[in-house]
Amino acid sequence: MMNFARYFLWILVCILAVTFVFMGAEFDYNYIIPNRITRLAAIIIGGVCIAFSSITFQTITENKILTPAIMGYEAIYLLFQSLLVLYMGMESQIVIDKNSNFFLSIGIMLLYSWVIHRWLLAGENNNVYLLLLVGLVLTLLLSAFTQLIQFSISPGEFSLLLSYSQASFNRAQLSQLTIAAVLVGAVCIIIWKALPTFDVLSLGRYQATSLGIDYQVFIKRHFALIALLVATSTSLLGPTAFMGIFVANTAYMIARSPKHRLTLPSGCAIAIATFLIAQIMVEHLFNYKTTVGILVNLMCGTYFLMLILRLRKAS
Amino acid sequence: MIHVNNIHKSYGTKSVLNNVSASFPAGQLTSLIGPNGAGKTTLLMMIGRLLKVDSGEIFINEQNITDIRISMFAKQVATLRQSQDFTMRLTVEELVAFGRFPYSRGSLTKEDHQAIDNAISFLSLEPLRQSYIDELSGGQRQMAFLAMTIAQETDYLLLDEPLNNLDMKHAVEIMRALRRLCDEQNRTVILVIHDINFAANYSNHIVAMKSGNVYDSGSVKNIVTEENLKALYEIEFEILQSKHGIVCNYFHPQEEF
Repeated sequence: MMNFARYFLWILVCILAVTFVFMGAEFDYNYIIPNRITRLAAIIIGGVCIAFSSITFQTITENKILTPAIMGYEAIYLLFQSLLVLYMGMESQIVIDKNSNFFLSIGIMLLYSWVIHRWLLAGENNNVYLLLLVGLVLTLLLSAFTQLIQFSISPGEFSLLLSYSQASFNRAQLSQLTIAAVLVGAVCIIIWKALPTFDVLSLGRYQATSLGIDYQVFIKRHFALIALLVATSTSLLGPTAFMGIFVANTAYMIARSPKHRLTLPSGCAIAIATFLIAQIMVEHLFNYKTTVGILVNLMCGTYFLMLILRLRKAS
Repeated sequence: MIHVNNIHKSYGTKSVLNNVSASFPAGQLTSLIGPNGAGKTTLLMMIGRLLKVDSGEIFINEQNITDIRISMFAKQVATLRQSQDFTMRLTVEELVAFGRFPYSRGSLTKEDHQAIDNAISFLSLEPLRQSYIDELSGGQRQMAFLAMTIAQETDYLLLDEPLNNLDMKHAVEIMRALRRLCDEQNRTVILVIHDINFAANYSNHIVAMKSGNVYDSGSVKNIVTEENLKALYEIEFEILQSKHGIVCNYFHPQEEF
């Protein structure tokens, strides 16, 4: 049963991927299919980023209802895009091309995370909860600034900005994907090597210290790696907000074990499958009249409510 | 041997430990006793390096503990905090395997499996080996966590109120297991304990603490007296000798309420 659910998940991902690439493409290997493969790559990279960052973040914070979004990474990204539009208007698209925007966004999110980690995780009395609280308040503050800007720009500029605030796979370009793949791959290998340590960490901070983990060093390093993952996925796709909660918790249920060796791959498969379903629906059912972000939130939300209702009935 | 030298710790303006010095003899079972808020747990957590000292030094076999790397320290000292209230879906065996982390860093060797087996059989936990922790009773869960600590194969075990919320049978089982760890394996056990009768009947050595200071320390015979306990806990004690040990009766103090 346990293995079956995991294998089923990967078979589902493969079927969805093949459907996505070939559905209605009439084997057009010159334009449609290469384009779809680019989007598929973006989906895979994004899915891996979300699964890895959410699950490891939840382990470090010992909390199953958080995602790294609470630290304000996405809020700073949106503020940056708003500022670009405010000062340069529609021309910002030309002055700063998509590639530069991608790198600038990553740079700014990493700078932001470096500043708050340095500020709040300094010294030995670091407190993860304080970090979360400050992250939450900064998210609200930054969002308020973004809204302030949104009121003072033209409707055309606003719709440009709106496109940045929703996750989408149409933005990503091959050059960005290559670099993102290298970055994310490297981070995932580092995290994968530390998985036994993450397992120990889920026993709690003190038990982990008693088992020989240098807690301070470990969480500082891995908060930085998580920031890198979130920065990459946000620059590539846009904000995914709280999809990570859904991905992580479904992964725990399907893996039926707290071992990260099992939960992380399941999480990746769930994230990729969700993105694929949403993207197929956007392209074929809604004909681009809605966005992946909206569909993902709709699907995750409905699924989660169903799950809670079912659990309540069972108990 | 663990020496604690002039330890000071305060939270804000409230000082919790004032120049505490004590020693904990090797190969023996030492009980830290005293009223709530005396600083027992704080002291234990500092020895286990789960809390930082404000000032003062702690030596283990004449070596300052801050000179030992955390990863090496975990092979010498294992700490178990009180109330394991987590709900992770792990089997007893998987939990005990975490005790080998300081050695194997996650990939278990043959020796690790041997140590896990030893710890499980030492506490007679074989029937529960494949049971899930979140489905065990409080006493069984405490046993499983103790097994993890034992599998860590450290010379020193620090336990914070290991008998908390246990019934008499499980409490006796845990104390006998700790006694055997000292007697059979020559390990050093230090525990914070509130049940004075368990402390009196199972310890070699007692360190009594009161309001952030060491009130007194020494052998059970020297510490567990009616006068000492009365001064320590501020209630009257009657100490009864029986052929199986001593009983401290504090249930009906004679003075006015």
